[in-house]
Amino acid sequence: MSISRRHFLAGSAGVSALAVLAACGSNNDSSSGAPQSGGTLRVGALGKTSAIEQDPHQTLNNNSDFLISSLVFDALTVPGENPNTAPRLASRWEQLGDPRQWRFVIAEGAAFHDGTPVSSADVVWSLRRLHEIAGETKVPVTSPGDIVTDGPSAVRITTPAPNRDLPMLLRLMTFTVKQGTTDFARPVGTGPFTLESFDNGNARLVRNPNWYATPPTLDAIEVTRFESTTAMANAVLSNQIDLASNVGAVAGRTAEGRDGYTVMRRSNDVVIPVVMRTSDGPFADVRVREAMRLIVDRDAMVKQAISGYGVVANDVLGTGDPTYDRSLPQRGRDLDKAKALLAEARFDLTKTYQLFTKDEAVGEVDSAKLFAGQARDAGIKIDVVTQDSNVFYDETWLSAPLYTANWGTNDSVVFFASKTMYSGTKWNETGFHDAAFDSAYRRALAARDDATYQNASHDLQRIEYERGGYLVWGMADGVDIASSRVHGLPTLGGFGRVQLERAWLTN
Amino acid sequence: MTSESLRFAGSRWTPSVAAASSRRVATALTQRIAVLIVVLIVVFATVDLLPGNGVRAVLGRDATDAQIAAREAALGLDRPLPVRFADWLGGLIRGDLGTSVRGTSVNDMLTDKFPNTLILGGAAILVTAIAAVCFGALWSFFPRSVAARALSSTTIAVIAIPEFVIAVGLVFVFALLLGWLPAVTTTGPSGAPANAAVLVLPVLALAIPQSGWNIRVTRAALDEAAGMPHVAAAELDGLTRREILARHILPIAAPTLAASLATTVGMVLGGALVVETIFNYPGLGTVLAGAVTDRDAPVVAAVVALTGVVITMMLVLADLLRAWAIRTRA
Repeated sequence: MSISRRHFLAGSAGVSALAVLAACGSNNDSSSGAPQSGGTLRVGALGKTSAIEQDPHQTLNNNSDFLISSLVFDALTVPGENPNTAPRLASRWEQLGDPRQWRFVIAEGAAFHDGTPVSSADVVWSLRRLHEIAGETKVPVTSPGDIVTDGPSAVRITTPAPNRDLPMLLRLMTFTVKQGTTDFARPVGTGPFTLESFDNGNARLVRNPNWYATPPTLDAIEVTRFESTTAMANAVLSNQIDLASNVGAVAGRTAEGRDGYTVMRRSNDVVIPVVMRTSDGPFADVRVREAMRLIVDRDAMVKQAISGYGVVANDVLGTGDPTYDRSLPQRGRDLDKAKALLAEARFDLTKTYQLFTKDEAVGEVDSAKLFAGQARDAGIKIDVVTQDSNVFYDETWLSAPLYTANWGTNDSVVFFASKTMYSGTKWNETGFHDAAFDSAYRRALAARDDATYQNASHDLQRIEYERGGYLVWGMADGVDIASSRVHGLPTLGGFGRVQLERAWLTN
Repeated sequence: MTSESLRFAGSRWTPSVAAASSRRVATALTQRIAVLIVVLIVVFATVDLLPGNGVRAVLGRDATDAQIAAREAALGLDRPLPVRFADWLGGLIRGDLGTSVRGTSVNDMLTDKFPNTLILGGAAILVTAIAAVCFGALWSFFPRSVAARALSSTTIAVIAIPEFVIAVGLVFVFALLLGWLPAVTTTGPSGAPANAAVLVLPVLALAIPQSGWNIRVTRAALDEAAGMPHVAAAELDGLTRREILARHILPIAAPTLAASLATTVGMVLGGALVVETIFNYPGLGTVLAGAVTDRDAPVVAAVVALTGVVITMMLVLADLLRAWAIRTRA
């Protein structure tokens, strides 16, 4: 189709113009110090016109909408580094005597922007609405009755089975609105900023001086929605915005050479694994999967598919998890061993295998093409088929023997186990049914102490490493470009990028 | 038109001629509208036949088949294609552009965006027209000048360069390197471009490639008109160069130029889709791109209908001009 080709070319041409420009200066380290107050931070974030959404409980496909919602509203919990779950509207939480039950206590002094205190009824109403709209993937309970008030300032949530990770699963999605709210044109949240204006996906947010946590130092944040990373990079480099959020590796590389800019690299941002079907088809034999993992040149993938903005990985998902097992031997390229395994498994080298991909995550299509080229070195013929995202999710996802996926939550091993690998999940991308894995997963969720949890997590990782269906060659960084005036920016990967409430500007 | 040139043309404006002209116009208009409807049918059907489900695209990975079916039923998407198209076309005639797969009114989606694209496209057409007449005339009247030689090569070059290359080059030089003009479009509270400065680069990015073609057309039309016998006669009559240009050359060349500019309208609107993305310009282009991704037939068809009406109007105007010019020459 000519439009998409033109868009693609437009993107590449924009990038090359930036590359020329990058030669014009050198990077400047920003000074920090005590946060200064005041100022307006102008932020650019990606978002499509067609996907603009102000209802915080609907699917927020646009980074820009997600950013705005997470500044106006508060979720019960937010991402942290270690532990990976930090308090927000819920100041604390505890697992009750019945391990299926959790109690979340609302932060003291939490109030809506109009001054009304947040009640447990508001939280219950919001969680139930989210569950009704988005289902169990956002609130892992069976029915609305599993979410109830527990006194005026606490809620009780009952999961179908013990779930140690419930506080983690409620991060960022569980935006609390006033009981009964369904119209979000003029949203009343509890967050660090209030919405002053919203137009066409662009917003101006002003400081909420009464925020129950430490109020922000910025006076205001202006969010500009960008359709393309090229336009966003141009805007930050011509000083029309102060921060280009999640602008991508290529723009980051060009900005690194420029005076007055800081390039933020947030590790463990996006994973772009090659998905191999384990239940049937050409990759069902574990030796074939092992061979595929020995064929890939991980360093080359990181260098070329994601411009060096990332690190190699080791076929285990959840690299940012505090329990991530670094003792598993790092797989490297070993073509001889791969060929031997393929021969042993009688893998048909005369056939051409299709690797499906889509232009979704930055570097996703490139990663597929690079891998196909590397596989030729071992005699495997792979034909890369780039599909429209729509077609991909209708026809390929969860069924094809070989395709690329991308995921933005990478700080939890158990998250991936629950979403994509245990045999009961509806998103079983690799068709994985492994009794030992399921048992380790249940042990992790039922764990009442850290040691048991870590143990179970290591078991999950070892099984993934040995016989899982994911080829995880690397982890891409999230890349933001900021003017050197901007400080206190988010450092976490994935959705952690929206945590701008602590940002500040030097005058 | 002056009486003198009418006399030269050897014909008078009479009621019968007027009736014949309006019949011709009516026929041209009917044909154009018929073409537009056929185009809309093709667009509607094509988007519908594209693989991938629009409702699933909107509801996300989590949606169950039951949820998708429910949403499709709510939006009337479970009805046969001809019924949906007829329904949509009926709405279009009443000024209702329908409902998107997200359940929002297409009128609301396009109310802000369509004027923005018209401003961008209109300014680009205006710049193109001015450039075409000025440079085309310069080239035609001074064919051996340095300017003519420069135009001969640069017009070919800019025709060959796509809008996005020009756009990226302009951004690089005027925004990133010199810092004279904004790299991306900022909008005011109403959603329209904040000021004239933000329009300069996108308008140039659209106008430059189109100017190349139109300058060449203008020059050729002027050359042809200048070579006609009555121009030589006028020269022999001792008319000044300016009089000859205004009375004998431009009127003959005008229909060709108008037809070329009318065709350019379509090219500009097509180019706007790309240019709007590069400059983050809040126009129809981004709506259309998103709607194609979402398999949102009513939105795609609405954008095509709006731009189609604009293009049709321009083509009919060009038809009119030609009809009028031919009549004066008949």
